Amino acid sequence: MKANAPLIGALILAVWSAMHGIAAPVRAALSGQVQQSAADLHGTARVRDRAAIDAVVWLDAPNAPPNDDDAPRPVLDQRNLTFIPHVLIVRVGSTVNFPNNDRVFHNVFSYRDGKRFDLGTYPVGALRQVVFDQPGLSRIFCNIHPGMAAFVMTVDTPFFAHADGNGAFTIRHVPAGRYTYHAWRPGATEVNGTWASDSGPLSLVWP
Amino acid sequence: MRRVLLVMCLACVVDPRAASAQSLTAEAAVTGGYSTDDLAAVAAQLRAFGETNGAWRFFGELSWAGRSRDNVESDAFGAAYPYGRRLDVIEAYGEGLFRPGGAIVDVRGGRFRPPFGISSGSDHAYWGFLRAPAIRYAEFLVVSNTFLEHGIDVLAGVPKLTVEAAVGAPADVGDHRRRGGADALVRVQGYAGRFIVGVSHMRTSPVEPAEIAPGRAMFTGIDARWMSGGVQLRGEWVDGRPFDGATSTGWYADVIVHRTEMGPVTAIARIERLDHEALTEAGDEDLSRGTLGARVRVSERLSVTINVLHLSGDPRYRPNALDVAFTWSVRSR
Repeated sequence: MKANAPLIGALILAVWSAMHGIAAPVRAALSGQVQQSAADLHGTARVRDRAAIDAVVWLDAPNAPPNDDDAPRPVLDQRNLTFIPHVLIVRVGSTVNFPNNDRVFHNVFSYRDGKRFDLGTYPVGALRQVVFDQPGLSRIFCNIHPGMAAFVMTVDTPFFAHADGNGAFTIRHVPAGRYTYHAWRPGATEVNGTWASDSGPLSLVWP
Repeated sequence: MRRVLLVMCLACVVDPRAASAQSLTAEAAVTGGYSTDDLAAVAAQLRAFGETNGAWRFFGELSWAGRSRDNVESDAFGAAYPYGRRLDVIEAYGEGLFRPGGAIVDVRGGRFRPPFGISSGSDHAYWGFLRAPAIRYAEFLVVSNTFLEHGIDVLAGVPKLTVEAAVGAPADVGDHRRRGGADALVRVQGYAGRFIVGVSHMRTSPVEPAEIAPGRAMFTGIDARWMSGGVQLRGEWVDGRPFDGATSTGWYADVIVHRTEMGPVTAIARIERLDHEALTEAGDEDLSRGTLGARVRVSERLSVTINVLHLSGDPRYRPNALDVAFTWSVRSR
């Protein structure tokens, strides 16, 4: 009995952590998988010598586990007659919130490619939602305000990132391995290549 | 104020870093059109809008527009802007929008369109109609799209029910301007599922001089919209008196179809009626009009709008007309 005390203690801890909803990270931490096999991918995206703002980057991983249900929903805000952000990247199956935070009405729609929808007109404070259930690029417009435009890139992987104002990006918790990467920005062609987790930061340059 | 706004807009179009706001967008739109009312028109608008670091917003809009002939009996291309061949400040205001506990509180101060009915320039100018509804045309003595206020507007409520109150003084643009004085306007708007319904009431000064149009103007309106599957039904009814001894009653109903399989095409149709009765020499008018049309978004920056109209009840206007316009717009952020 005395010799089994650590095993019994571990079992009690596992049952308790599962009941309290901290099972996945605690289990992963206890098993040492995250520390040993996953790391953050850092990189930069540039257009010649300028930062490629609004660039999105993703790694192919079609068999990756599903997202955590508690993750916050991605948002494409309508604010000051502008879609914010200008480019949104989401995983296949994601529900995107489209709140109207302007006093004027908006009418969000996508007709050209990717997910096709028309949300109709809705006033300030109201919210509509769209499930992006197929990979691809959706071009988003407002049928009332022709200057409003945005892009939603839907990808079949949990490993993606959006470049910041300096062109820097970070893809979190990428398991060790070799990946095909893709990068896209408005008005440019997609850039593809391979990246291995032991090859350091990823540097993307559009000519 | 016009010069300040013009410099601000141009600076932002050329280089958005010219402003130190947290976010700033500048937009320019140019429209050219022709109507079989024997009329051509060119219009341009410059807009600058954004948000400061303290979550206060600002909006400014300049407009210049001209038509090939003056004093012509036609409201072609008069959807939301005056055609006086001069530079006009349309709107210029600061605004704070707050969301305490999911509620909405918005305070706007400056120069703005009166929030009566389906009122904003965005609603009328961009849906595909090249002419405002008759109840929104200044010459018909109702609530014109070229009415502007200098004052304060407060909106409060929740997304499904808002109450709005505005007080100010008339600051109109165009040929038909209200006399000075104080204005008051109240609007209640409800939103549930596919319906948006609003009721507005406005007390203001008449357009004409006091010798012709004595007393005060007063209008009440009901507006409604229903939307489903890319189809929007919309209508507005207005009743009131433009001055003592006269009454104006009018309505319009339109349908706007923009289903995803229609791609860049938005189809529109409208019927409308206006009855104006005056006990003075201004006379009576009973006008009916039907409009069919479409707006095609040719590219991200270019759209084409075409309208066919039939009008009856007012001999001053041609019974049939075809309007065509191109709009090119560019945005910098």
